[in-house]
Amino acid sequence: MTPEVERLERLAERLRTVDPYVPPPGAKIRGWNLVLAAVEQSNTARSGVHPIRRLVLASVAAGVLLVAGAVAASADSLPDSIFYPLKGVLENTRGALTFGASDQLAYHLDLARTRLTEAQAMFARHRVDLADQALSGLDDQLNDAALVIQAEKQSDPAVGAAMENRLRQAIATHDAQLAGLQGQVTNPTALNAIMQARDRAAQALQTAAKNGKGNGNPGTSPNGSGLGNGTANSPHPTPKH
Amino acid sequence: MRPLGKAASDDDRPLIERVRKGDQDAVRALYERYFDRIYNYVYARLGRAEDAEDLAIDTMTRGLTRLDLFQDQGVAFSSWIYRIAHNATIDHYRRHGKVSLVSLEHAPALESADPSELAVEQMSNEDLHAAIRDLTDEQQQVLILRFFQDLTAAQVASIMGKSVGAVQALQHRALGSLERALQGRAVN
Repeated sequence: MTPEVERLERLAERLRTVDPYVPPPGAKIRGWNLVLAAVEQSNTARSGVHPIRRLVLASVAAGVLLVAGAVAASADSLPDSIFYPLKGVLENTRGALTFGASDQLAYHLDLARTRLTEAQAMFARHRVDLADQALSGLDDQLNDAALVIQAEKQSDPAVGAAMENRLRQAIATHDAQLAGLQGQVTNPTALNAIMQARDRAAQALQTAAKNGKGNGNPGTSPNGSGLGNGTANSPHPTPKH
Repeated sequence: MRPLGKAASDDDRPLIERVRKGDQDAVRALYERYFDRIYNYVYARLGRAEDAEDLAIDTMTRGLTRLDLFQDQGVAFSSWIYRIAHNATIDHYRRHGKVSLVSLEHAPALESADPSELAVEQMSNEDLHAAIRDLTDEQQQVLILRFFQDLTAAQVASIMGKSVGAVQALQHRALGSLERALQGRAVN
């Protein structure tokens, strides 16, 4: 090692022993406060770098929430609700995904029960027009149920007969409810709608009973099978005024 | 000599990721890890506590708020933060003027001073600091980083953007220049 290198080594060693400058505690605290404030500000500013992206994400999130909320709300919505059309869409979707005669019958009977509930609610709110529509819907479902039963009878009469009994029981329940409703309303239009609904329900049962081969069920009308309120020969008793 | 603490490099990556995700604790950890070192570096360069404080805070603020500019590809965060400190120092010089820009690299030794008689062990820290500040910018950098910051030649090379060999050569020349500067001070 040359003398020059030795001297420089000594100098280097001396430099290593120099005490470092240490910041005063106050400076470090002040620095941290400033750095923290700057970082928070930077984060806030950075979050605004992509406003369009944020807007899209927020819109998507809001859309998902809106749809989910609308679907949830529509499930129990009534005909005078803004969500009611969505309820029809969901019901149709459910119907498209229902297979098998028994399940299809259950589907139609379920919707028939729903329409009757809607009609009762609309009568209570004095929305006779909407109640009339709901009763039409009730009849549509019962007719569809009758057609399902008819078709099933041709392929399996025993199963078809059992399904017909299910329809008869459902119509009997509906008729009892309609009869009660009929006794509560005084509006002639409402009374007429209820009576028509009861008649069409009875016709649906007759349709279900028709199979061209005979199903052995003697009763084809609510009254003939012991249904109805028993207050008159007609399935629809005289309305109270 | 009081240690400045570990000069982390690889260890910084998880912290940096957390900072990018807005983790305040990670910001604090990086601040604690580097503030003292940066303060020491800029103080050694400038020689004024007030300026060192402001520049250290400014460096840490820039480093921790602009991590989007830091790409951890070949350059460690520690190198990046030292470069910010170096640039801040240069900016400070430009605004306020440097005390001395005279290069002592090739300055002849004073005839009346014998280098072998230079008692470096007895020199005060302030004399050493003052003599270092008379050196060129790169010489100051290499001496401060190598001996005050206790970084390896490889780390200094990364900070200065040079090869390790170039840093070692620069270090040798810087020590020679410092010796001459100290001789000049001893004569005066």
